[in-house]
Amino acid sequence: MKEAILRTEKLTKKYKDFLALDQATITVNKGDIYGLIGRNGAGKTTLMKTVTTLTNKTSGEYYLFGKNNEDLTECKRRIGCLIESPAFFEGMTAYQNLKYYAIQKGIVDKKKIDEVLELVKLTESKDKKFKTFSLGMKQRLGIAFAMLDNPDFVILDEPINGLDPIGISELRDTLKKLNEEQGVTMMISSHILSELYLIANRFCFIDNGRIIKEITKEELDAECSKSIAIKTNQVKEALVILEKELGTTNYKVIDDSEIRLYDYLDNAGKVNKTLAANDIDVIGIYEAGITLEEYFKSIVREG
Amino acid sequence: MLNIIKSDLYRIFRGKSLYIVTAIIIFMAVISAITLSPGHIGVAVGTGSTMTDPDTVAKIAEAKTLGEFRDVMKEIGTIKLDAQIIGQNSNLYYFFIVFVVVIITSDFSNKSVKNTLSSAISRREYYFSKLITVIGMGTVLVLFNDFINYVLNYVINGKEFASEIGYITKISLIQIPVVWTLICMLVCIAFFVRKTSVFNTISIPLLMILQVIAVILFAILRETPKWYTDFELQYALSNLANEPSNSYIIKCFVLSTVYIVAFVTAGYCAFKNAEVK
Repeated sequence: MKEAILRTEKLTKKYKDFLALDQATITVNKGDIYGLIGRNGAGKTTLMKTVTTLTNKTSGEYYLFGKNNEDLTECKRRIGCLIESPAFFEGMTAYQNLKYYAIQKGIVDKKKIDEVLELVKLTESKDKKFKTFSLGMKQRLGIAFAMLDNPDFVILDEPINGLDPIGISELRDTLKKLNEEQGVTMMISSHILSELYLIANRFCFIDNGRIIKEITKEELDAECSKSIAIKTNQVKEALVILEKELGTTNYKVIDDSEIRLYDYLDNAGKVNKTLAANDIDVIGIYEAGITLEEYFKSIVREG
Repeated sequence: MLNIIKSDLYRIFRGKSLYIVTAIIIFMAVISAITLSPGHIGVAVGTGSTMTDPDTVAKIAEAKTLGEFRDVMKEIGTIKLDAQIIGQNSNLYYFFIVFVVVIITSDFSNKSVKNTLSSAISRREYYFSKLITVIGMGTVLVLFNDFINYVLNYVINGKEFASEIGYITKISLIQIPVVWTLICMLVCIAFFVRKTSVFNTISIPLLMILQVIAVILFAILRETPKWYTDFELQYALSNLANEPSNSYIIKCFVLSTVYIVAFVTAGYCAFKNAEVK
């Protein structure tokens, strides 16, 4: 059994009447690149802020490296974070900002600062003040900060925000390299599933503060794989027929006019005939795979 | 905790504010020494000044130039300018605000506090590190102000205007609990509001507003209570620089301790459960 780096149990955060996180239970295992996916305001940042003590939980528990409450302070030293937008002292240079945090974290070897700056390709800009940085450069400095103390667990909140396509690709390679070579566990949030798909090995879908689904990449691939797309304006009625007449619940509702069926892949004709025989107006029926975006939309709708 | 303090010192020594504050203190010390005037902000004025004597006031009024003014003052020759300047140490309140802004509220306004709290230390460590740093910087500032005034006054005006170094040391030290009270009050406000602009809006006029309220209240009551002129923080600083009795020193110490505990506790409670944005 894999070691759990982060485990939450019914973690809840309430702001007055607003439930930002609703009994979230997740597990991030050692070596995972754990993708946290959700729409804006879904609760991704709240979950990250709660487990990094930036906000207090309302109820539930969380364990970092198997510990919670008083023992968390020591565990926090093993974490690197970039929560929300990168924030540093405007009047200080990139190097000075990182040195400030290096002193704070008790890092004696100042070469580490140059190493992380090199990692995010900011060596040439290390003497520029933070206030002169572009959004992408700020984001990279935030990632450098997260990597500063050789963390065992890195939490990155929307790290690709503001990065150009080349920057995104370089960041992806860097994170993969850290994960593969140094065994760094990561939790990365994004609302762009296609981007997370390229890096994460486990995914967690979150919406309205609730965890909808935790899924491995293999399972995701399977769910997005070959299917029969059924186009109809009678989705609800068609689902009843699929369940009663064809005895399958292995389907997904994509939208108000489309169902994806993962059974009967070699017998679409039978599906068509059965639906037609039960007065379902089938507009179209064809073989298809599901895109990540469609999958995400269907997951959110189901949730 | 030590690392947080060290990192803040690293930042302070790389910023401009410390050097600007130091330059202003030296400039004020030179001006005070040349004009033989302690200068003050607010209602509390040193009680040892000979300028309250009508003859002295008349002579000073006749002086047309700074040179003449200095000659008159030197004729009188009984003023201990350094002690009087130390009596006006409540002026340093505004420099304490600078330190609180640089060390605490800028961390919140820049949102860089997230970096520290999310991956380095607990809130308790953070709070007390910041408190100790501000208190440390404030104390050094007060002592620097006291001794630079002593030295410059001695050099510019001679020893007849200067106190004994032992006396200067004594009044500097007995003022420290009251100074810490002012600093703890500012730190408490900083952790309550956690925003530089709001902190400045509250802290800069705070002492003046409290004094104005007190003055209006006492005008209505037609009496200024003795406890106010004894223990209001600015008056206390002034009184402590003017040959205070041992019992008065002890009372100020006890009162300061109570205030400090109250401010530190309130500030910590406000921060402990606060949402860090």
